Amino acid sequence: MNQSEQELAQKLVGYLDDGLDRIEPRVRERLAAARMNALANYHAQPALGLAGSGIVMTWITGHARLMFAAAALVVATAGFVYWQSARQSNGLAELDAYLLTDELPINAYLDKGFDSWLKRSSR
Amino acid sequence: MPRTRRRNSPDARRRLRTGSRPFQGKAGPLATQRELSDFLAEVERRAYKQALFAVRDDSIALDIVQDAMLKLTERYCARPLAELPLLFQRILQNTIRDHFRRQKVRSMWTLPISSLFKGDPDDDTDPLETLEANDDSRFSEPPAEQAERSQVLAFIEKALEKLPARQRQAFLLRYWEELDVAAAAKIMGCSEGSVKTHCSRATHALAAILGKQGIKL
Repeated sequence: MNQSEQELAQKLVGYLDDGLDRIEPRVRERLAAARMNALANYHAQPALGLAGSGIVMTWITGHARLMFAAAALVVATAGFVYWQSARQSNGLAELDAYLLTDELPINAYLDKGFDSWLKRSSR
Repeated sequence: MPRTRRRNSPDARRRLRTGSRPFQGKAGPLATQRELSDFLAEVERRAYKQALFAVRDDSIALDIVQDAMLKLTERYCARPLAELPLLFQRILQNTIRDHFRRQKVRSMWTLPISSLFKGDPDDDTDPLETLEANDDSRFSEPPAEQAERSQVLAFIEKALEKLPARQRQAFLLRYWEELDVAAAAKIMGCSEGSVKTHCSRATHALAAILGKQGIKL
């Protein structure tokens, strides 16, 4: 920008600045009231952790579909793990019951890997 | 003729060159309620004028400034003080734009009706030609000088209203708000080159409009 242009701009802005002092009192009062009204909504800065969680929440709400799919996957995985562990614990409980009664479950006889396991463990 | 500008100190001019303002910067402490209040008190009258130049209705301009203030305090009060000027300007400009969007939608319904009652289509009088100086006696300068200055101000404000929106926006952001070119470009959503072009055209257009009225600054 050449100098004269900048000088002209500054002169124009000088007039505009003067114009601010000539704003009607009615308007000034309304501006002050608007400012007070806006400041009534001011709330102190939350702790850093809360601020961080706010950012995370904003991200989550912005990626709702992705988050829904991820949540469904987590629930499905958790369900499968729970089902497996429940099944395993049920099997162990059944086995314990058989051992306590000196009986072997039918599965023990059907275990094809038993012989090889026995060989390995006996070495 | 022009009086010494309140912000025309060497420091203010340096800020204009570097694009920095007292509140401007990359980071800093978070704004307290008092600082936010001081910031809003400093910018509210310029914001009102900016909105007024754009919408030409003082009630709507006041509503726009109020909306912008509310949005700033509701959503961004936990931001560093240094970020507030840029944020506030972005909010203000978006609020003005939103007003025009609503106006456009409204006009789609009201235009066919209002066109039935519109005034004389040949009436193309220039408001600048009939503009009279405000009778304002609050200032200590001689009445003649005061009246002249008041009249020039009114011409400048009317000329600003007549500028294309983008030129006016660039001029006010760059020179009145003293934002740097990059910040103005960010707010306007255009390139820095466009901001410079808009500023240059705005300054020349204002000079031409005032020149037509026999006003030389």
